[in-house]
This record gives sequence, structure tokens and C-alpha cells, in this order.
Amino acid sequence: MATALLTNEVLRRYLDLDRRPDALSIAMMAFGGIAAAIGFAWVFHDLWRWGHAAFNTSSDVAWGAPIAFYLFFLLSSSGLSVLASADSVFGMNVFHPIAKRCVFLAIVTLVAGFSILALEIGHPFRMLWALPVGMQWHSPMWWMGVFYSLDLLLLIVKFWRMHIGDWHSRFMHLVSIASFVVCILAPGTLGLVFGMMAMRPAWYSPVMPMYFILSGFMSALAFITFFTAFEPRASTPPRLRALHESVLPRLFFLALLAVAGMRFGQILTSLWSNYEGMEAHWHVLGSDAFRFELLLGLVLPILLLSTNGLRRNALVRFAAASLAMVGIFLARLNLLIVGQVVPLFKGYWADYVDYWPSTTEWMLIPAGFGIFCFAYGAGHWLLRLGDDPGPDPALAASPR
Amino acid sequence: MTRWGMVIDLEKCTGCQACTTACQMENSRLPNENWQDVLFYNEGTYPSGKLTWLPRPCMHCEKPSCMAVCPTGATYKTADGVVLVDWDRCIGCKYCMIACPYGVRFYAEEKQKSRPDIREVFPDPEGEKVWSPPWRMPDHLQNNKIGVGIQPKNVVSKCTFCYHRISKAPPGTKDLDPSDPTLREFTPACVVTCAPGARYFGDLDDPTSEVRRLIAEKRGTRLLDHTGNRPQVYYLAGEQPAIPETRTVRRSRDGEA
Ligand code: SF4
Repeated sequence: MATALLTNEVLRRYLDLDRRPDALSIAMMAFGGIAAAIGFAWVFHDLWRWGHAAFNTSSDVAWGAPIAFYLFFLLSSSGLSVLASADSVFGMNVFHPIAKRCVFLAIVTLVAGFSILALEIGHPFRMLWALPVGMQWHSPMWWMGVFYSLDLLLLIVKFWRMHIGDWHSRFMHLVSIASFVVCILAPGTLGLVFGMMAMRPAWYSPVMPMYFILSGFMSALAFITFFTAFEPRASTPPRLRALHESVLPRLFFLALLAVAGMRFGQILTSLWSNYEGMEAHWHVLGSDAFRFELLLGLVLPILLLSTNGLRRNALVRFAAASLAMVGIFLARLNLLIVGQVVPLFKGYWADYVDYWPSTTEWMLIPAGFGIFCFAYGAGHWLLRLGDDPGPDPALAASPR
Repeated sequence: MTRWGMVIDLEKCTGCQACTTACQMENSRLPNENWQDVLFYNEGTYPSGKLTWLPRPCMHCEKPSCMAVCPTGATYKTADGVVLVDWDRCIGCKYCMIACPYGVRFYAEEKQKSRPDIREVFPDPEGEKVWSPPWRMPDHLQNNKIGVGIQPKNVVSKCTFCYHRISKAPPGTKDLDPSDPTLREFTPACVVTCAPGARYFGDLDDPTSEVRRLIAEKRGTRLLDHTGNRPQVYYLAGEQPAIPETRTVRRSRDGEA
């Protein structure tokens, strides 16, 4: 009884349990709950019935859609973390009002990504001891595990400090710096997981870590724009209005341009090259997913955000963010396919590998997004994600 | 210390695939899961077209990229030069399958290309292994630590150079010659079964071994040497121009059928 009371009191201290959830929270929790329940039930049933043979992955395409979904969430999380650091590390206090929301979104996307990985990997529980015990420092995947675990830990600490109102202490500043460094190292290492593979020429590139960091930042901007597109109202203070209608969309526009530039270079090099394995790009050129990624996921959002007038329109911002999110999602899938569609060393009688995700694999989308939406809805209701204590008084007083 | 390696004489190989079958029987592999495969290549067009083939086991590289990427240490190299998978440590992340340039690693949890699905015909009563074949090696040889025997679910498998055989060879053996009755049971199954005797197995570190002599005198070649993996399987191409071109998928835009 006493424990229950104590728990209740602690919960009430940190969660706004007395507040009534708004329509957005209810909608997201309901949608997320239902989607996650359906997604997980479906995937668990299929895995129980057929094991991982329920996926369309094979010995030729070892990494399929689940890894693409995992990349989508993890890289977005790192980008959100960078965005949250703009204020706490670099003192760009224009980003203050979205910092807490970004940290929360980063945690939630990371959790969604890890959940998908747990369903993809052969032995998720064995992983928990085999990775730390193995100490395989020469494996990029091992480092990826190290950095993403640290990332999650630091994000949780950072969020907790923000939540209890400690935005500007020295400890918080140190945590923010550590979190920023790790959220660059983590997607960079994930880029190395692919970019170091010389035997997969379509992936092999020293630029891959940069592409992962940058495209993660772009998808983070898509995420935050998606969730805050309709936030500014008539009563919104001008500083906040400017953030949503000018600063964020401009940054989003620039990030889209940078990703488009890198992608263009990547594709052109691959189409031009006669190196074995690069023909994969000619092969995927005709696929709908590839066209969507480039035309609807990059070019159209760039056009939509290209003028001040358009950027001020909430509906346009929302449309650009939605398209970019689907586009980057498909970009991850296309990346996976392009590196594996040419089978390694199988003789002339082998052709391009046929791969398209199975229903079980697609059902990981409602599972992952369900977790994400439910947690975000709950956070929106209980955790005051819009907290904005204003700029650091110490910095405001200094003459910089 | 012994460093086991294989030499395959392409002038003797008839492409009969007996090695593939012997390996499957010895190691209880599923259909299509050919630890030892024979790849076919057709080159040129009429009237000068020709068909060539290339037997392809795991290369047991000196510097295996599959081992370098393995985040758990499940893939390792033995002191006598063989690359193995510890099935009790593998987490099924499949990174090694991505990193092997020779495509010689397998994950049994995939849709079977042939029907009926043999895993459903002979399921493992305990549900821990991929299947329970009626024909199998004696149970005492099952050894998850070296990836030998019936495979547990959700782990990666590969050719072991029949480690359960070669590791029992008398110390100091420099060549495992299947025509020597005293060494036959220690020789890899594919080498034993090869009717034209195209396969040789021995110690690459012993300058007097038969495999070393063949590599030196008949210009032993390694596949995809530019990857730096340094395979321990050598091919003798003899009078052929070279081992077949490695490109897998031919480009229709180049006008190749
Ligand atoms: S699948 Fe197993 S052997 Fe391969 S890299 Fe992962 S843990 Fe290592």
C-alpha cells in the first residue's frame, strides 16, 4: 500500500497525470497502440510459424527491409539529437523551443529502431552478452553497438535533466557535448558498416558515413517539421513563429539540397563505372522505389520549400516533410538492395537477385511506427515536450 | 605449425558436382545450401562459345574479412588456418555474409527453392535445429563450437574444410592424400570423393608438401586476390587462359545475352 502510494507520488512528480490528454495525444496513442498491436501480433505469429524464413531475405540478400527500417529510425534519431544540440552545445538558442521535443523524439525513434532489429536478428538475447564479451574492436558493427548504446543512455540523461528543469547547469552542458559527439559517431559508424565493404562496390565509399549523418539530419528535420507543421497559431510568439516558418524550413531545404547533391554524385559515379557490382544501379534505375526516392522524396520537397511564401504555408511544409520521410525510407531500402542485388560469385547462370519484402517484413512498419506513435503521444501528453525555459541566463548576460 | 590449404586443378575437374553432393551428405546441408558449389560460366558466342566451370568451397582466407566484421567473435580462425563459426556464439546478424567476397556463407532461415520443404518433412523434434535429417554423421561428432553437424536455428554456416576429419590427422601430416588408406578418414569429403583426383589438400607452410609443389610448378592462382583476403584455396588453370571471369551478372545493355 505504502509502495503504491510512493510510486503514485513519484509518478505524479514527473508526469502530468492530472492533465487531460489533448486530441493529438489521444489520436497518436490510439493509432500507435492499434498499429503496434497488429504489427507485432502479425510478425510474432509469422516468426513463430516459419522463423526468419517468413522474411524474403536469403543467403544472397542477407540484409533486407528490416535493416532498412532500422536504418531509417536510427539515423533519424541521430539527426534529431544533433538538432537538439544546436542550442545546448552551440548556443543557437533559436532552437530552444524544440530541443526537448527533439530529444524525446530521438529516444523514441531509437527504441523503435532497436525493436525492429530485435525481430530481425537471429539471436537478440544472445547479442546482449556476446557483444560485450566478444570485444571485437575491429568490427564496425561492434562499435556501432557501443555508440548507439551510449547514445541512448546520454539521451535519457539529457531528457531527464531537461524534464526536471536543469537546462543550463555545467553537468547538463557536459552531457550535451558528450551526447552530440556520440550522435555524430554513431551514424558515422553505421555508415562505416556499409562503407568499409570493399567486396560490395555499390556500398564501398569513404563518404558513406557523411551521407548517413547528413541524410539522418535531413530526415530528422522531416520528422520535426511533420510533427510541428501546424504548431504556430495566431497567438504564437514571433520568436517561435520564425522558428517554425522560417528557420526550420530553410534548414530542411538546405539539408535536402545537400542530400540530393550527394545522392546525385553517388548515382552518377555508379552508372558511369564499369566496375563489377556497380551495374546494380542500372538495374534499380527502373524500379518504382528508386523513382519515388529521387523524384517525390527529394526533388518535389525541394521545390515545395523553395520560396518564402511556400515555406510559410503549414500545409506545404507538412506535405514536404511527409514526402521526404517516405522518400528517405525508400532510400534506405534502395541502398540495401543496390549493394546485394548482384550476387557475389555465383557464376554466369545466376541473375540479379530477386528481392522485395514479404508481408511479414512490411508488417514491421506498423510495429515500429506503432511504438513510435504511442510513445510520442504519451510523451506529448505527460512530459511537457514544448518546455522552453528561455535562453541560458549566463549566456544572455555575456556580451557575445 | 600446419596451415591447411586446398589446390583445385581445373584441367582435371569435370564439373560433375560429386564434391557438392559429398559435402551435402557429410555435413547434412539443406538443398541449395552448397557449402561446396560448382559455378558455371558460358563465354563467347557461336561458333567459339565455350562452357567452363569452377568448383568453389570456402576459401579459408589468410585474412578473412568475414572474421574481421564479426561483432561477437563467433567467426574465428584456428591455429591450423581454418575459418570456422562457433554456433553457440553466433547471433545471426549476417554481417559475415555481407563481407565474404566469395558468397560462401549461408543462413538456413530462408524460403526453400525446392519443394517439398525438407525442413518440414524432417523437423527437429526439439525445435532447436534447422532439421533432423534421417541420414547424418554420428551424433558424437556434432560440435557447435566448430560449426560441424546439424545446424541450430538462426546462425550462419559455412564449409569447415571438414574440420571434424582434418583435425584428427596424425601430427606432422603434410598432405592428406585420399589414395593413402591410412589418411583417407582424415581427408575432407570433397577431396575423397573427387573421381578425377582434381583436389589436393595439404600443408601450405611445408615447402615439401604436394600442394606447395603444385602451386609453384603449375602457377597456382587465387580468386579475387585484389580483395586482400589471401585465400588458402588455389586453382591451377593449366593451358586455359585463366580461371573464368568473375562477373556474375552480364549486362544486357552491352549486348550480351
Ligand atoms: S552472423 Fe554470426 S558469425 Fe556472422 S558476423 Fe554475425 S555473429 Fe559473426
